[in-house]
Amino acid sequence: MALPKPNKKLTGSESSYLVEVIKGMVITLGHVVKNIFDQDRFRTIEYPDVRKPMTPRYRGAHRLLLRPDGGIKCVACMCCPTVCPARCITIVAGENPNDPAEKFPVSFDIDMLRCIYCGFCVEACPKDAIRMDTKIYEINAYNRQDMVHSKPYMINLMDRLKPEASEAYRADHTTAPAGHTPDEAPVAGGHLG
Amino acid sequence: MPKVKVNDVELEVPAGTNMIEAAKLAGVEIPHYCYHPHLSVAGNCRMCMCETDTPRGPMLEIACNMQARDGLVIRTETDNVKAVRKSVMEFLLVNHPLDCPICDQSGECRLQDYYMDHGKYDSRGNEAKVGKHKRQDIGEHIMLDAERCVQCSRCVRFGDEITHTGDLALMNRGDHTEIGMFPGMRLEHDYQGNLADICPVGALTSKDFRFQRRVWYLRETASVCTGCATGCNIQVCHQEGEVFRYTPRRNDDVNQSWMCDPGRDRHVAIGSLSRVLRATVDGAPSADAIPELARRIRAAGAGRVGFVLGTQASLEANWAMLQLVRANCPDAKVFWVAGADADAIAKSDTFLMDADKNANTAGVKLLAEWAGNVGDAAALRAADLALLVVLEDDVVSRVGEVLAPALAYLGTQHNPTTAAAAIVVPVAHVVEMDATYLNRQGRVQRARRATNPLGEAVPAYQALDALGAALGRAPGTRMPVATFLAMARVIPRLAGLDYRGLGTNGKLIAPATPAAAEAK
Repeated sequence: MALPKPNKKLTGSESSYLVEVIKGMVITLGHVVKNIFDQDRFRTIEYPDVRKPMTPRYRGAHRLLLRPDGGIKCVACMCCPTVCPARCITIVAGENPNDPAEKFPVSFDIDMLRCIYCGFCVEACPKDAIRMDTKIYEINAYNRQDMVHSKPYMINLMDRLKPEASEAYRADHTTAPAGHTPDEAPVAGGHLG
Repeated sequence: MPKVKVNDVELEVPAGTNMIEAAKLAGVEIPHYCYHPHLSVAGNCRMCMCETDTPRGPMLEIACNMQARDGLVIRTETDNVKAVRKSVMEFLLVNHPLDCPICDQSGECRLQDYYMDHGKYDSRGNEAKVGKHKRQDIGEHIMLDAERCVQCSRCVRFGDEITHTGDLALMNRGDHTEIGMFPGMRLEHDYQGNLADICPVGALTSKDFRFQRRVWYLRETASVCTGCATGCNIQVCHQEGEVFRYTPRRNDDVNQSWMCDPGRDRHVAIGSLSRVLRATVDGAPSADAIPELARRIRAAGAGRVGFVLGTQASLEANWAMLQLVRANCPDAKVFWVAGADADAIAKSDTFLMDADKNANTAGVKLLAEWAGNVGDAAALRAADLALLVVLEDDVVSRVGEVLAPALAYLGTQHNPTTAAAAIVVPVAHVVEMDATYLNRQGRVQRARRATNPLGEAVPAYQALDALGAALGRAPGTRMPVATFLAMARVIPRLAGLDYRGLGTNGKLIAPATPAAAEAK
């Protein structure tokens, strides 16, 4: 499809550019003035030292939850890989002879390069074993392999948050999404679910 | 034949047909748990209740125990019937543990299916569920979870009527009823896998398939078991090129709804370490094993080359070998070796497990009878050969000696013959190709391609076609459909058959003519 050429003629004041530059500066200076006199609603933040609080329903990186007794909640029922439209979840099921849950995921990998953050896996889970409530949006790595989040990584995901992250950001993670009871899973190093 | 009416459909069914089967003929599915076409009628699940007209007006009766008689009218979709189904579902699920996330049955569970079709009630269960024994290892192939059971008693009847072992029983009373084994007993028979198949819920599940794959991922391909001469009809359940299980496919004339455990275990060999994956010449991997084999056949001289037909290979492959010999080296000798080793006889019975562990012995006999000059094992021992080309059969173990200075082997698994063979050509497993087999009844049955051949394997008829091409004249057996048609054109006993005509249940062919039998 050929794009139409911009054929808008510049008006007299636009063609000199000077007026337009001043208009832009006025907006910028307006923010400066607002930030000085209305510091409760600061318009810019000092990322990454300060982070914007995400809305409660924001879907960040997945985490896997543990039961109060320390076992993994997931029973490898395969509902999430079945419902996943990006086919990014790979689970290998195994049997745990000592666990009343019988079945557990030997491995649980999510290819974050393929994930589209739709949250269907969370909705499909009958055991509340996977959540996307971490609000972690910096999902990055130096190679493709590290973009596949593994079971141990996702269990300990909350611990990986940097301690220097702002209090507001950490506090924001202590509220469970509506409809979920906060799990009392004893994750080493302070659990924030 | 009695005329019955199912909903508004009038149809004639054979006398004695029960109304579940009659409704099936009319295209109406009546939900049921305890009824099974190859077991006696127990009538205890009450799920198949239908409305019928009686002298006292419309009444509910169970369809499985209602035999077709003239003028019988049943209605399966009235409000009364729907209400009763809903209530039955509620009763069955009162103590059900809802293990679906960890239950191997989910996806093919009648409780799930019928709840979605006929249940969908709001739970009124305020009381604690009755707990029962979970995760019981009751046999080599079966796990029992008594909590999931709906007491349909199919497994009990299977033990009483099919295997005659009477090993499972319903114990205790009321809502404490559970399926169990007598203390210290285990399932000992060779048909355990069927228990997992007939269990309509997840109470009896297969240990071999346990947690392997969710059933909704599996694709099913209709095939036949090549474990013995019975040729049980099976479904090959596979996903993305990997076969996970064989399940029996109903064929009332061959295996009803059953198959044996050794047959079920056969899928393990497909991708196992014993599989031949690479062509080798004198022990080294080679890209041109077939041209090399052709060279050696020519070098040996047609008179001193022997070909052994394979009783484990398909009709098409054996036909390809016969045609190859006929076209390229008519002086070469052709043999076939009947095989039933002592171990196999021990593992056989009068039901499904045949002592002859070769799927196509009857087929090779048919072709040998047609070709006329095919020698047996004694002739093979006596023959003076420089090179022996073997199709799939483990001839070395069967005859007990290496019969020629040089062996060439086309096969799927490593065995004493591959160890002795100078040239080994990998061929496709039965699930990896379209082919036909002739079972002990004389029934031609089709195996369909479910997965792609592993490694360098190609179907044996294609490998033999390539060998024929290397020798000068290809037998023209690349395509199985055309190969079968070519066979059916010239072999009188196969006349008029083609792949489509074989259908899902195969076709019985005419028995061998008396003249041919005399000639033997």
